[in-house]
Amino acid sequence: MSHATAPKGGATVKERAELALNNEFLRKAVKFTTERLKNGKLKAMEEHGNWEEWRERGRQIRLHTIAHLDYYLNQFVENARANGVHVHFADDAKDAVAISLAIAERKSAKSVVKSKSMVSEELHLNHALESIGVEAIETDLGEYIIQLAGEAPSHIIIPAIHKNRYQIAELLSEDAGEKLEADTKVLAGYVRRRLRAKFLEADIGMTGCNFAIAETGSMVLFENEGNARMVTTLPKTQITLMGMERIIPSWSDLEVMATLLPRSATGQKLTMYMSGITGPRRTEDADGPDEMHIIIVDNGRSLQLGDPEFQELLNCIRCGACLNACPVYRHIGGHAYGGTYSGPIGAVLTPSLQKNVAEWDDIANASSLCGACYEACPVKIPLHDMLVYLRRRKVEAGHGNKAEGAGMKGFAALMSRSGRFNTVVKLGQIGQKFVARDGGIRLKVGPLKGWNTYRVLPALPKKSFREQWGTLEAEIRAGLNTMSPDIKQRMEQAVQNRAKGGGHGHGHH
Amino acid sequence: MKASLFITCISDAMYPRVGEAMVRLLARYGVALEFPKVQTCCGQPAFNSGYWNEARASAKTIIESFEDSDFVIAPSGSCTGMIHHYPKLFENDPVMLEKAKALQGKSYEFTQFLVNVLGITDLGATFPHKVTYHPSCHGTRLLGVKDEPLALMNNVRGLELVPLPHAEDCCGFGGTFAVKMSDISGAMVNEKSDHVKETEAEVLVGLDMACLMNIGGNLRYRNEPVRVMHLAELLYEGVKGA
Amino acid sequence: MVMDTTKTQEQWLKEMEEKSRAKQKNFIGNITSRLKRPMVAEAPKHPYRGSPDFWNAFEWNEQERIDKFTENFISVGGHVERFRTMDEVRGFIADKAKELSAKYVIRQNQRELEALNLEQDLPEARVSVWNSDEDENWKARSAEADIGVVLVDHAAAYTSSMVVLSSKDKGRSVSLLPTVLMAIIPVERIRTRLGEVLGRFDEAGRESLPAGIHFISGPSRSSDIENDLTIGVHGPGVVYAIIVG
Repeated sequence: MSHATAPKGGATVKERAELALNNEFLRKAVKFTTERLKNGKLKAMEEHGNWEEWRERGRQIRLHTIAHLDYYLNQFVENARANGVHVHFADDAKDAVAISLAIAERKSAKSVVKSKSMVSEELHLNHALESIGVEAIETDLGEYIIQLAGEAPSHIIIPAIHKNRYQIAELLSEDAGEKLEADTKVLAGYVRRRLRAKFLEADIGMTGCNFAIAETGSMVLFENEGNARMVTTLPKTQITLMGMERIIPSWSDLEVMATLLPRSATGQKLTMYMSGITGPRRTEDADGPDEMHIIIVDNGRSLQLGDPEFQELLNCIRCGACLNACPVYRHIGGHAYGGTYSGPIGAVLTPSLQKNVAEWDDIANASSLCGACYEACPVKIPLHDMLVYLRRRKVEAGHGNKAEGAGMKGFAALMSRSGRFNTVVKLGQIGQKFVARDGGIRLKVGPLKGWNTYRVLPALPKKSFREQWGTLEAEIRAGLNTMSPDIKQRMEQAVQNRAKGGGHGHGHH
Repeated sequence: MKASLFITCISDAMYPRVGEAMVRLLARYGVALEFPKVQTCCGQPAFNSGYWNEARASAKTIIESFEDSDFVIAPSGSCTGMIHHYPKLFENDPVMLEKAKALQGKSYEFTQFLVNVLGITDLGATFPHKVTYHPSCHGTRLLGVKDEPLALMNNVRGLELVPLPHAEDCCGFGGTFAVKMSDISGAMVNEKSDHVKETEAEVLVGLDMACLMNIGGNLRYRNEPVRVMHLAELLYEGVKGA
Repeated sequence: MVMDTTKTQEQWLKEMEEKSRAKQKNFIGNITSRLKRPMVAEAPKHPYRGSPDFWNAFEWNEQERIDKFTENFISVGGHVERFRTMDEVRGFIADKAKELSAKYVIRQNQRELEALNLEQDLPEARVSVWNSDEDENWKARSAEADIGVVLVDHAAAYTSSMVVLSSKDKGRSVSLLPTVLMAIIPVERIRTRLGEVLGRFDEAGRESLPAGIHFISGPSRSSDIENDLTIGVHGPGVVYAIIVG
């Protein structure tokens, strides 16, 4: 489950982030893309209206399904089998890869054409297929490009945003064996022609799965290019990789997902193609696969079940809205996260899917906990809370940073008694005399280095608030205005409402 | 009825004028804020980093301070928001859990109290300056404070409010994040300051001193002459003459 | 991995199924035990099934549906034509085909499309009829086709979606592989909401569903290269929604 090699560019998030921050093009590209997608979403939300109601609906459908996942997954499997699908179960990446390779070998497959599947990235499946001599070809335009570059996707929806058109033209020109102009139409036209042949020749078509409908055993794919349709129509064998949590009960529930997903991902009303596939081709059909397999993958997902802090993580519909809302992602891009999934969802998923806390890196720390991800999430996953839970679990398991741990113990000692707090503030007021100039501290040493590289720390005022309180209080009491009856009444009302259980305008849970 | 001031550790040590402004403003309406000395810090720095035992040690002083208060008012959406985490923080301690829930029900960010409880949006203030407003993340997203500060600023005579571009973007403070991931944080605060500069405002106002210390510190580092104030300070200055 | 070539595919699949069924018990059982309650025997109550009530009550009249479908389809780069009779449709398709110098046309094997008499109107072109001959390679025919002609089964105006269902006579390839897609929509099949179409599949039930149900809401597109939108990546780049009736 853990990565065999360290992610490119450094072992820690901090190191990889630094690379990203120093890459001017990457930052501009990520910023432009995320803003475009974010604004698209906001526009689509407004146009459609009642977004909060839709979000809540989406959340309830997902919560319900996950809470009864055993029932619905079982129902899905039985129905899929009844449709003629060969269903397989994979506890982990190793299992899933083994099954995929076995199917490919039985078919003496030479090539596999793949449509977008984050699960297949999780499994590093392309690599495994190549190792047994099977050519695995990504067919989504962005994925095809990064496959040529030998890189991982940097965004869930737009995988090659870190590449400019000149870089892309270079890659595709090499692939073509001729010079292609750095023009979108030309480049896309080349890929269309090139992949046509591949679609028609390929032995196996491989897909991911956006949603699986339990009541009819159908799988649903959302896309704009048409490659997922190609991959499920032309090759004789189809393999679909499905995360075990991708279930919804019915086609009616699909309307809610179809309302939330495209708008959240890119601001579209609906993707150009939405395909519901129910089994392999019927005997009398002249296209569609003869043989269809669905591999249901666990790979750490079931670890979230029964965990009240993380079960909601399985609600995720992989829309990428959190990436587009995240100010940290916008600055560092997807590769800095170091895993298959990036952005806020990645920061939570990557550690959560791994049982071994000791292997969690510092990814959960790459967040200011601003809550924009939660606000953006169409199914209301409290990612910002989950990041804190992850940090806590790491500390509880004894894998916290030792220096930080010591500092926190000091914090606790200091803050548990107001007298101690007062003393330390006094010491600070005295001690800073050595380093404060014009009311500011610019020293870039020790703990101040990170802060003062970008800011001037204000000097402590001569007296803290509590030191001045005595004087202030006396002054206030002396000149206190009489409270108007109106205000008195309002305050009393507020207390009464509280007793009745009325809250007062909280945006959160 | 008892209305208490939750000063927050940062305002206590570094921005006492904010507390003073709040106290004086409320006194004009006959609301005498009390200041229970036991309070230290809401515990958020420890909580956010996953050190919940340490966070509890600090949070206990807050719960204890305000046990008999009817209203607990803080100049911070972030620290008020932290109180909303107290039930979770004390979920395994039945006695403290009850106290935590009670405290949550009576805690208010300053503008929430002024506008939603007291019903005041016009303090009769005058502040003839160009001002831009940064809506801190926790207050906006977690407490739902959106209209209150705008309602207050709309009634300040002479105040020209210029919208801050990308206002909803985080300033990059995030507590220990600013120190632990200093370069990412630095990039975020630089961008925020760029947007502040775009407005050509004389004053940057907000509801959270942590954010303002962050942005203000960056503006100062870049020698930008923008005055940075908490809304309470602005309003108090606006009524002082009257 | 050494493949056992003595086994037939059928035998192997059967073995895999046995393994799978055994694994299923553990897999599902793992979920049940983590959720710390016994699995229900019957479908759990699903109070939030489908879209919110206010949405299900939302409906446009016929003209609004036509107008909105048109507006939405055009906004994503599609083309819309409106005709009263199939005769007019016939004329339109023939003219377009000549204009595009189409050499190969493929249509679904349906009565209504036969009545278009494309073979007669386009003597210069080769007009294929999906799956009308057992020995033909229909995927190849679709791939070479300049124009694919289909009759749409359902449509939804809110998302400008046309829905095609696969069958013996209706290939998925016909709406996917040709460069240009001509999709004929009988006006009475246009509904307001996606849910009106999706709900029918719930009502129809598993056994009556075809292998492929495809919602087509515009021409194929991608913005993967520097966020620059390009039309016609893998699927048809030119799509005509021809509303008739």
